[in-house]
Amino acid sequence: MTATGEELYKQREQRFNDIVALKKPDRVPILPLVVHYFPTKIKGLSNRECGYDHAVRTQAMKEAVLEFGWDFAPPNGMFGHDGYEAMATKQFRWPGGDLPDHEPFQFVENEYLKADEYDEFLADPNGFTFTRIFPRIAGSLEGLGQAPIPPLYWLSNMYYLQSIGGSLAAAPPMRKALEALLRLADAADAYNGAVTAYTQEMAGLGYPVTWAAPTIPAFDIVSDTLRSLRGSTLDMFRHPEKLLATIDLMQVPTVAFAVQAAQMFHNPRIFIPMHRGAGGFMSEEQFEKFYWPTFKALIETLVAQDLIPMPLFEGDYTPRLKYLAELPAGKIAAHFDKIDRKKFKEILGDKMCFWGNVPASLLCAGTPQQVKDDVKELVELFGDTGALMIDGTMGIPDETKPENMLALREAADEYGVF
Amino acid sequence: MSHELTDAIVNMREDEALGLVKSMLDAGTDPAQVLEQAREAMTELGRRFECEEAFIPELIMGGEIMRGISEELKPHIKGSGAGEKRGTIVIGTVHGDIHDIGKDIVVMMLDINGYEVHDLGIDVPQETFVAAITEHKPEVVGLSGLLTLAFDSMKDTVDAISAAGLRDQVKIMVGGAPADQQVQDYTGSDGWGSDVTAALKLADAWTGGEAR
Repeated sequence: MTATGEELYKQREQRFNDIVALKKPDRVPILPLVVHYFPTKIKGLSNRECGYDHAVRTQAMKEAVLEFGWDFAPPNGMFGHDGYEAMATKQFRWPGGDLPDHEPFQFVENEYLKADEYDEFLADPNGFTFTRIFPRIAGSLEGLGQAPIPPLYWLSNMYYLQSIGGSLAAAPPMRKALEALLRLADAADAYNGAVTAYTQEMAGLGYPVTWAAPTIPAFDIVSDTLRSLRGSTLDMFRHPEKLLATIDLMQVPTVAFAVQAAQMFHNPRIFIPMHRGAGGFMSEEQFEKFYWPTFKALIETLVAQDLIPMPLFEGDYTPRLKYLAELPAGKIAAHFDKIDRKKFKEILGDKMCFWGNVPASLLCAGTPQQVKDDVKELVELFGDTGALMIDGTMGIPDETKPENMLALREAADEYGVF
Repeated sequence: MSHELTDAIVNMREDEALGLVKSMLDAGTDPAQVLEQAREAMTELGRRFECEEAFIPELIMGGEIMRGISEELKPHIKGSGAGEKRGTIVIGTVHGDIHDIGKDIVVMMLDINGYEVHDLGIDVPQETFVAAITEHKPEVVGLSGLLTLAFDSMKDTVDAISAAGLRDQVKIMVGGAPADQQVQDYTGSDGWGSDVTAALKLADAWTGGEAR
């Protein structure tokens, strides 16, 4: 008797949960954490097209899941490019914006908050974000920086809200910003609709979606999006207290949003991309001061809420393994970019499952045999406990050769059935 | 005095380092000597980075202190003020990729270590590399990239350099987080590295410098 979609869904979710809990599963799954353009590229669709047409993209994603035998359906993994357009964002460049159709969207790192603005930002983070940061990251919201916006609490009565608030909203730059926000709302409705339809369709076919909501560690959100790598590292020496205060400020919504989003999307798996904590990026002293405390607290809070954190340890985390050993055992789906596999097994083999780490270069430029050999090596190392999930270093690279993608599945079937 | 300045830079005491430079200049110290001592500090930071005693924040902060010192010295140094160049390097992030953080750190350290560096920026078309090689006649070309699309862009660039008949004149290194031996082989380059230490070692080896 063939299993129904519902039964397959439960089996796949159970397999994942068992691996996270360090219980030996029946076999090794293929679980792409992040997928951008691979499914559409192999169909000959341009990056531009799939950034704007959500139905085209989710259809290609579904076909990739089925064709390549993935165990979970990866989430959409990119923002709708119509949303970028509505905002005229300056923090992303995208195909259909000023990048050619075949290029991927890319983040533009900058000091969107300047070092000499810390005090102003920390004194009124909401007001500063509204009138200073928004105009810097979104061209459509430049009007927010031009209008003389009073403190919102001053408008806490209908005298002022109607007269002053109304006139402010009617001013042309503000009107432009409000209209852009409505266009963003339309884009968000369309995007969320497509994601919901994809999630339901994949569930019907028996595939859980890997994750629904990401949350970015507090240090990374400050370093990536506000201060930049250069700015945040200079702050470690010049303004350590202000940097720490901003990290603490970001920590509260970072944790709260992750918990809320898990409830809202009925998906307990929280993707946590980590950008700046790896070995090389800072000393242990700096890591212990600026990165680890808020990250560890995030993980512990999510685990306490019965959620499953899925940190993507980007960069080489081999020098940080001793810290990872402090995290709750059997509760985390840890995904690795570069790492010494054997050291991981030695230090964390009985505490944490191992996910990822098949080199991007191998998937893009290697042969199917090389890919199979790599999976074999992983299974030989982790097969005793079965605490292993297969994926590339950072998910599936856009340029992965389809035959290499198939080789992952074949290797898992050949070597990874227990 | 020399140890004091080097020590202040290596240990990230920015204000002290800049103060020392001012007092050295006031006391009539040769600006070239001041610059040399500051460079020694950066070399020491590079050494510490290599043996994992210093990290990216120290390199960036060290670079920032160097920038401040160079500003201070500028009015006092006639001509370029630079000694003999160790070699010439053309470097850039390959076409399709707009990431520059890693490349910028490599550029800074190559420059501080005495190389003449021509930084072509980001999203650099292969023709621009070819033109820059023709113009500057570098010993070394650095191709940087963070995205996996860079593998093909790097390969295209190496191919374009070959097609222009310049391949024998340069050594090519590919660098960035996803670089590895596979990427070197795929692109037909001569070396790879995922951090600044690797870039310096390759450059030194290819320009006949001493191994670090």
